Amino acid sequence: MTAGIIMNISSPRFERRRRIAVFLSLLGISAFFLGLLIIPSPVDARVQGRCKDCHSMHSSKEGSAETYGGLSGPFPVLTEGGCLGCHGQNPSGGQNIVPVGLARAPQVIHNQKNGDLAAGNFYYVADAFTGDHSKGHNVMGISRQENPPMDTPPGFVGSVLIPGGTGPTRWPENKQLSCAGTWGCHGNRTIEDPYKAMAGAHHADDSVIDGMTVGTSYRYLLGVKGREHQNWEYLATIDDHNGYKGDPTHSSMDTISYLCGQCHVKFHASRELGGGGSVGTVYTGLWTRHPSDISFSTVHGGYAGSEYERYITYSLEAPVAYVNPTGNEKSVGAESILMCLSCHRAHGSPHADILRWDYASMVVGAGVPKTGCLTCHTKKGDHF
Amino acid sequence: MKRWGAKLAIVCLSVLALTALDSQKSSAKVEGDCEVCHAIYPGMMDEPAPRKDPRYALKNAVCVNCHSFAGNETVKILGGVRVPVVFNTDLPVSPLAGGNFYHVSRVFGDRKGHNVEGISAADQGFGGAPPGYERTKDPSMVGFNSTKPLACSGSNGCHGNRDIEDPFRAVLGTHHAEDLPLDGSTTAKSFRYLRITEKEKGILGLEDADWGRNESSVKHNEYTSSMNALCANCHGDFHGPARTGIVSPWFRHPTDVVLPKTGEYAAYNPASPPSPERPGIRIYNPDAPVGRAEVPGAVSDAVKPGEDIVLCLSCHRAHGSPYAASLRWDYDSIFTGGNGKGGCLICHTGKGGR
Repeated sequence: MTAGIIMNISSPRFERRRRIAVFLSLLGISAFFLGLLIIPSPVDARVQGRCKDCHSMHSSKEGSAETYGGLSGPFPVLTEGGCLGCHGQNPSGGQNIVPVGLARAPQVIHNQKNGDLAAGNFYYVADAFTGDHSKGHNVMGISRQENPPMDTPPGFVGSVLIPGGTGPTRWPENKQLSCAGTWGCHGNRTIEDPYKAMAGAHHADDSVIDGMTVGTSYRYLLGVKGREHQNWEYLATIDDHNGYKGDPTHSSMDTISYLCGQCHVKFHASRELGGGGSVGTVYTGLWTRHPSDISFSTVHGGYAGSEYERYITYSLEAPVAYVNPTGNEKSVGAESILMCLSCHRAHGSPHADILRWDYASMVVGAGVPKTGCLTCHTKKGDHF
Repeated sequence: MKRWGAKLAIVCLSVLALTALDSQKSSAKVEGDCEVCHAIYPGMMDEPAPRKDPRYALKNAVCVNCHSFAGNETVKILGGVRVPVVFNTDLPVSPLAGGNFYHVSRVFGDRKGHNVEGISAADQGFGGAPPGYERTKDPSMVGFNSTKPLACSGSNGCHGNRDIEDPFRAVLGTHHAEDLPLDGSTTAKSFRYLRITEKEKGILGLEDADWGRNESSVKHNEYTSSMNALCANCHGDFHGPARTGIVSPWFRHPTDVVLPKTGEYAAYNPASPPSPERPGIRIYNPDAPVGRAEVPGAVSDAVKPGEDIVLCLSCHRAHGSPYAASLRWDYDSIFTGGNGKGGCLICHTGKGGR
């Protein structure tokens, strides 16, 4: 009987069966990977995990109050230290993303070497460390408020149009920048309280970033659209990065640059922000301030033959925005959009003015090509 | 001894006579054979001095002794009287509304119940003081004495008159007093003998005839806001606006606030949706009970977001539970953003599954 099922491996019958087996195997493997592409991957930032990982119901640990840094609870929204209690768990520690139960909390202040996330790192501006206030936004709890005139956002204009309503009429002298709310960046800026401004965002289904709610806005920046890199750009690559939204027509409020413009009004040319006269417009003459939210195709003199034509491959050092960002763009072209974050980090950086590079070392005609300003201004990097 | 026996007989006969006259009244007033309760344990009573009343020898243990059971039944019969069991030696099969001290009695952990004297030693972590205790928020004239153990009643306990330090005296006579109507005017007429103090009205509510045993949406205690006030006697920091907040964002989990009728709370108890004929109504879940603004006329399975009240007891058991912090559920297993349900997610419906 045994001999009956033994097959000669050199027989045509064996060869046919071998080919069928290989075909079916390849078909199965292909189907598996095709399935991975079709089925949406759960990469949304909706917090998953145990309630207790982030919240303390009564701010009571062994009968004593919750503490964060030098502060004693209770903290808002029953958190264990407020925004920074979760997103700044160990400012001097070397971990840029901290597991919290099933969730991962990006750290906005940490000391991980080469670990800065897309927005940078408040470490560079924190009073506890460098205390260099030119290197980041002076957010309450991290840095003290700057002295005048930097106690208000440079370029601030009151009562501008913002998602959900109108921005503050004025920026009071004693009002320090906060993470969220009217005096911050995240959440609903029509709501003053930072925590109310963020209400529910971490628990919202954000699998679709449509900017309609705080929870479904890019990085909880109300109204902003984009694609969120799942590791907050830690170890990002030129084809897997944040996807920033831009709008060279300045007809929407859903761009990352418009968000910056809500406070730094005079630095954005949007009609809604009224900054056109201050920045200049592309078609009518010279810029008086560096433009933002414009595409290379609209530069004075045209894109063809311009120095911007030589910015070809996406640069993580000087990223660009897109009208419909995917985060997988590898190429830069005429329709790529210059944005505030092309030059700046949002939180903090090792460089003055929260720049992505050392402005003082940018030397025309002698700089390192494709770095810093010269990433876009390619001709100015040419060595004459 | 003869004189004491005669007195006891007279009292018992009187009780039995009253019982016969008023056998239809739904009352928790204890009736029946005296010795069943008062002489069941050897050495329970001191030999009375001449012309003196008998006295308990083990006053501090009498509550626990009577309301305990060596087994897993949570309602026991003593002399024909049903006695709620708060402390079982075995895992209780159907714990009562207050939970069961079984969970805090041995090596299960201090955090699974109130560490009442006679059941468990003082909580080492808290050093004897109730977490969040604020003397100014404790209406007791005596106040909580953290050098003394937590008791069932009195100033260091929950039941009885908290103006009285002696746990025994704080409930003295209550089991034999008229306890209807349940209007909070006396200890006996307070919900579960929870009197607070002499000057304050006792706790109001509707007492389930089975003390919450096998409770369901249609059979359960009915609580009111006054229950929260009692908890705040000792856990004052966890109650009231000073440390909790007035409105969102809360700094501590709010209690004694109306369950909102907006947002995720409008879908309270999503596992049991009401019939379409009951708009605006949700179905009561004894795993996360709510209180009523007023004592209702009858037990109801309806929960009205926008009217009903979040309680301390919405999350906690008063005596003990299998879970840390004497919670009604395992906080460690409550997950947000996944497919979780129950526990916190009974109210926080938006934080559960997609």
